[in-house]
Amino acid sequence: MNLQEILGKNASIAAVVIIVLLILLPLVWSIVSSVSTEGDQSSQLFLERPDPKYKNCIKDTEYMRYHHWELLRGIREEVVRYGKREDINFNKCRECHTSRERFCNKCHDATSLTPDCFDCHYYP
Amino acid sequence: MDRRDFVKTAGGSILLAASSAYAFQFLTSSSASWMKLEVPSTGRKWGMVINLDRCQENCTACLDACRHENNVALSGDERWDIHWIRKVRIEGKIGSKTTEKSVILLCNHCDNPPCAQVCPVQATYKRDDGIVIIDHHRCIGCRYCMIACPYNARCFNFKDTEEWPNKERPRRSHGVAESCHLCAHRLDVGKMPACVEACQRVGAEALFVGDMNDPASNVSELITNNAVKRLKEDLGTAPKVHYIGL
Amino acid sequence: MDIKFESIEGRSFEYRVTMIAFAALAITGLISTFYIINKGLWVTGMYSRVPWGLQIVMAVYYIGLSAGSLVISGLYGVFGKLEYKPFARIAVYLAMLFLIAGLLSILTDQGRMDRVFIQPFVHFNLQSMFSINPILYIGHILICVVYLWALFTERKKLTTVVATLAFGWAFCVHSGTGAIFGFGARMLYESPLLPASFVAAAMASGTALMIIMIVGLFKLTNRRLDDELIVWLGRFLAICVIVVLYFIAVENSYRAYVIELRHAAVYYLFGGIHSLLFWIGLILIGLVIPIVILFRKKTGKSVKWIVLASSLVIFGVLCERYVIVIPGLTHPPEIFPGMEITHSAIEEGIASYSISFLEVLQALGVFGVIGFMFGWGLRYMKLLPTEARALHPCPESTSRKKL
Repeated sequence: MNLQEILGKNASIAAVVIIVLLILLPLVWSIVSSVSTEGDQSSQLFLERPDPKYKNCIKDTEYMRYHHWELLRGIREEVVRYGKREDINFNKCRECHTSRERFCNKCHDATSLTPDCFDCHYYP
Repeated sequence: MDRRDFVKTAGGSILLAASSAYAFQFLTSSSASWMKLEVPSTGRKWGMVINLDRCQENCTACLDACRHENNVALSGDERWDIHWIRKVRIEGKIGSKTTEKSVILLCNHCDNPPCAQVCPVQATYKRDDGIVIIDHHRCIGCRYCMIACPYNARCFNFKDTEEWPNKERPRRSHGVAESCHLCAHRLDVGKMPACVEACQRVGAEALFVGDMNDPASNVSELITNNAVKRLKEDLGTAPKVHYIGL
Repeated sequence: MDIKFESIEGRSFEYRVTMIAFAALAITGLISTFYIINKGLWVTGMYSRVPWGLQIVMAVYYIGLSAGSLVISGLYGVFGKLEYKPFARIAVYLAMLFLIAGLLSILTDQGRMDRVFIQPFVHFNLQSMFSINPILYIGHILICVVYLWALFTERKKLTTVVATLAFGWAFCVHSGTGAIFGFGARMLYESPLLPASFVAAAMASGTALMIIMIVGLFKLTNRRLDDELIVWLGRFLAICVIVVLYFIAVENSYRAYVIELRHAAVYYLFGGIHSLLFWIGLILIGLVIPIVILFRKKTGKSVKWIVLASSLVIFGVLCERYVIVIPGLTHPPEIFPGMEITHSAIEEGIASYSISFLEVLQALGVFGVIGFMFGWGLRYMKLLPTEARALHPCPESTSRKKL
């Protein structure tokens, strides 16, 4: 006995379609939302350059661009769970990247990613 | 049982055993071992002493300091207000003698915290230095810890508030349970908790926080030289907040 | 005995109206849930002193119904009672749906629903009952799926194996749910008996639910159902109800006997609206009247009376869930033994709790979801048997009227 015998033909097709749609929903959603924001993305993103007296971030730009969230999460874990506050902390980012509007939000808006860090943490 | 059945059964059981072994390892290893974090033990154990004889009844310096330091805002309705530290009046009667007292209540930072035991996501846990702290990035808001706490010391952030007096510290996140964390962020950098500092500032000197493992610390001395009491010691939670004059 | 299963036509007016009603309930529940997420949990009846409300009551209730109806399916799968084979599919499907309902209730109760799907599994805490239970629940659903598949494909051996596993698992599931409360720190929760008492209540409510579902479905679709089957289930229900009564009696007499718990027992038994629910809703309507109905010779053999008794049991067990969850929270933990807190910033002492409208909508919404899924299943899956005959009709019963 297979699915069709249990469910009947139409219903099994419907069920398969619904399940596939449910699985694909996040993908479709992200495509739709990226298409709808494409207009803003067409121009180059102008990130605010930090003060020239700071040569580089704690990691190189390439790493920071794609993995800053991993770094932040690691720092978060160290600070919150193990109380290691001395090395690097979240507030130090603010010394160079002074504005969330002109730095973080540029990419995050373009990629429609909204982290909830700033719901609770202050960043000007 | 023919050969096919045997292969099926054997393969199934091997798969089951392997996956359960993997799952067990996955589930029991703590996040620290994944991250290869080596946190040297400080050997400290923070404890608190509250001298109720020196605490004035209508002074609210510590409560205000806590609200300011940790952005614990009042939400406007008594039922959903958050209190990490609160003052209560208690009354007892023995024979014809009625005793009245004003007592400060806060998280007791138990050595065997029931809240940490029941937390399904290890968001509440006991730090190496004895502080029971909550990782509000991880909390799912199930409120089991509030049920388990025998001191009513935990509060759930039911409402959002716009107030944000101390921008250096995060605002209280909605939908998570939180409680006093003994100002761990201040203790880590060598400062005293906000309530203790405020108490010193107003000259009451009723609150003390110090290292209980260090016999020379003020807290250890106060504990040895005075009759201290802890709340509901019979539960075996081993609280680290000690009361003088309760 | 060869039993044929079929799906229902699903073209009748009544069927469509029922489905639309369920869908409407589900949508109202969804809307109220979104409202609660947006506003925060304070719009429900919960607050700092009573952090668990109607959703937890309903979750425990649904999980109980699930575990109970799985036990009924075990009559065929485990004990090989062939005459109950016609009900096995419905029982397993219902067990799956009610567990989904329980999970939905728990899910909609969380403060941060977005984290529920990842954090409990990444940061597993072996010491926490709340952490062990999701594993049991998900296992329960998976077992139900395999069980259904085995029943649909008529695999005898697999059915026996899975049914036995499911039977044991259902016990574990509801013991685990009881342990959430029983191993807690609240004075009115703390009891090693609670897991066992939960299992008994689950079996009572699950059996009652199955009786109502079977009789209702067979009557609505004009199928043959022999009275003996229901009469036997009624006897089983009677035994379960007596066990529930026994556990409640033991637990409360212990609390009333031990001096340090006596004031808690007094509060529980005579301390407010929940006491009314306890005495009238649970003891009288939910347990005593059904026992009388089921044991009287005349009424105990009549399907109508058995259905009435089952509905009373279902109501009674809902009351039981309420009087377990809520009074345990409104009764205050004693921070200063022998002293009284006269003044405080928060509500000390005995707290009050009132169910809010939104919570009721949410609970009804969950019910709508599973009702809709059940209707869908009836139409598209071969759940219902063409008839249900008794193997050995009781000699004293001569009436074999067709329902």
